[in-house]
Amino acid sequence: MSAASLVREIFGAKGDPDDEKSIGTEQTRYVPPELVVLCLVVITALAFDFTNGFHDTGNAMATSIATGALKPKTAVGLSAILNLVGAFLSVEVALTVTNAVVNIQDSSGAPRPELIADGGQALLLIILSGLVGAILWNLLTWLLGLPSSSSHALFGGLIGATMAGLGPAGVKWVGDGTKLDGVVGKVILPALMSPMIAIAVASVGTWLIYKITANVAAKYRDSGFRWGQIGSASLVSLAHGTNDAQKTMGVITLALIATGSWTHLHQVPLWVKICCASAIALGTYIGGWRIIRTLGKGLVEIESPQGMAAEASSAAVILTSSHLGFALSTTHVATGSILGTGVGKRGAKVNWGVAGRMLLAWGITLPAAAAAGALTWWLAHTIGGLIGPIVIFVILVVLSGAMYLHSRKQPVDHNNVNDEWVEEVTDRKLPEPALSGGGAK
Amino acid sequence: MNNLWLALQGAWQVLLVGLILGAGLPTIFALGIRALSYGVGADADATDHVPHPFAKVVAYSCFGIVVLAILLGIGTIVASGFGLDVVFDGITPRVVAK
Repeated sequence: MSAASLVREIFGAKGDPDDEKSIGTEQTRYVPPELVVLCLVVITALAFDFTNGFHDTGNAMATSIATGALKPKTAVGLSAILNLVGAFLSVEVALTVTNAVVNIQDSSGAPRPELIADGGQALLLIILSGLVGAILWNLLTWLLGLPSSSSHALFGGLIGATMAGLGPAGVKWVGDGTKLDGVVGKVILPALMSPMIAIAVASVGTWLIYKITANVAAKYRDSGFRWGQIGSASLVSLAHGTNDAQKTMGVITLALIATGSWTHLHQVPLWVKICCASAIALGTYIGGWRIIRTLGKGLVEIESPQGMAAEASSAAVILTSSHLGFALSTTHVATGSILGTGVGKRGAKVNWGVAGRMLLAWGITLPAAAAAGALTWWLAHTIGGLIGPIVIFVILVVLSGAMYLHSRKQPVDHNNVNDEWVEEVTDRKLPEPALSGGGAK
Repeated sequence: MNNLWLALQGAWQVLLVGLILGAGLPTIFALGIRALSYGVGADADATDHVPHPFAKVVAYSCFGIVVLAILLGIGTIVASGFGLDVVFDGITPRVVAK
């Protein structure tokens, strides 16, 4: 079923008379409730994809914006285009995305039969609640300017909703031991290790770059690393598009399969692909300026060579690990790389206070999104029927609106994204790095 | 426990390849920039300096290696999107079905 006919089928009854005539009155009188819920799931999933885009713009572009290699608007525009391209490049099957953490699909990608017995409502409610939890957590961390992982938020939301709906047995905690799987293998362990890998790679890269170019004329250094930075940041954007857009495509397609609106287990409908690619690109273009600011100005004062080292490290680690099937979060890698450039440059100041706050946010992203997802499921389930999903959708819209309005009180956008960080604003001085510990020797 | 062992194995591989590509390529790029600046000495503010012809060859070879590596990286992403894999079992990369 195409998006257009789906929308017509659901809203046709209320549409204008012409519309009604063209479809025929027989089928538009009665709208099955699961189609309304399906519609909510699709909209919510695209909204999540959008937040995923703007939450992660900074991963690729924060350093280029901070060093002035690219103007803020140019940077987000470039990143958006590359995310769009990336989303289309990845035509690999993304249908088993939820299999990493929960048991709502079998290994072929088909939803578990007991969950779709009632026309898919049980499964749709789990997905919808999970997405609502994920979006709320993404928006809250954005409001606080914290670069937390969007994939952790998505997995967290789904885990919470599944636990509420199916009990702890519905969650795949460790997998069967033959490969990295389950919450521990696909989410927690990579999250602990990937930032350390990124810090190591970026600090070695930074140290070598500064060692080699210590006495180089400024004119070569500035323009050279500027291009290096733009190139490496572009690569990160492209990799992000191929990785992250897929997850939403998988979730939407799962919902479509659950209601019987789509039957291929090896293909994502074209309209889903187009919608997801556009949503993530639009989100990227809007730019999560608060997060860009934290990453670009809040952690380390970044110069072009460091920017290039950070993005090259991020690109290499992300691409290598997705090639090797080691699931990790773009956000964790990008942040680790930026911290690494502070560790690797002699005399650079690293704002460990902000880094600590961020680490805390990473740690609680999964449980917090899970709690939100579980609470949402419980609420919708208690209300029941068609009203339950509608109520949680309305709650999502209201809370999102509230957080957006709150953000307008202290807006961060492309005009002030590079303003000096709290150090100047609050008169709080960062400690000078100890000569032995601050820089690599 | 098995998960931990598998994760350490994965992490080790990612770290190794990450260091070669993520730190190695920027280093080659930096060497290129270093070459352009050959003969400047301590005068970091020099604006009228012209790169030595030989240094230019060295520099552009370095940049060339980096660009080639990036193109290969993009090639790998695109190929995997079409169900193909790029393997490096010889001197030149080959595209094979997954």
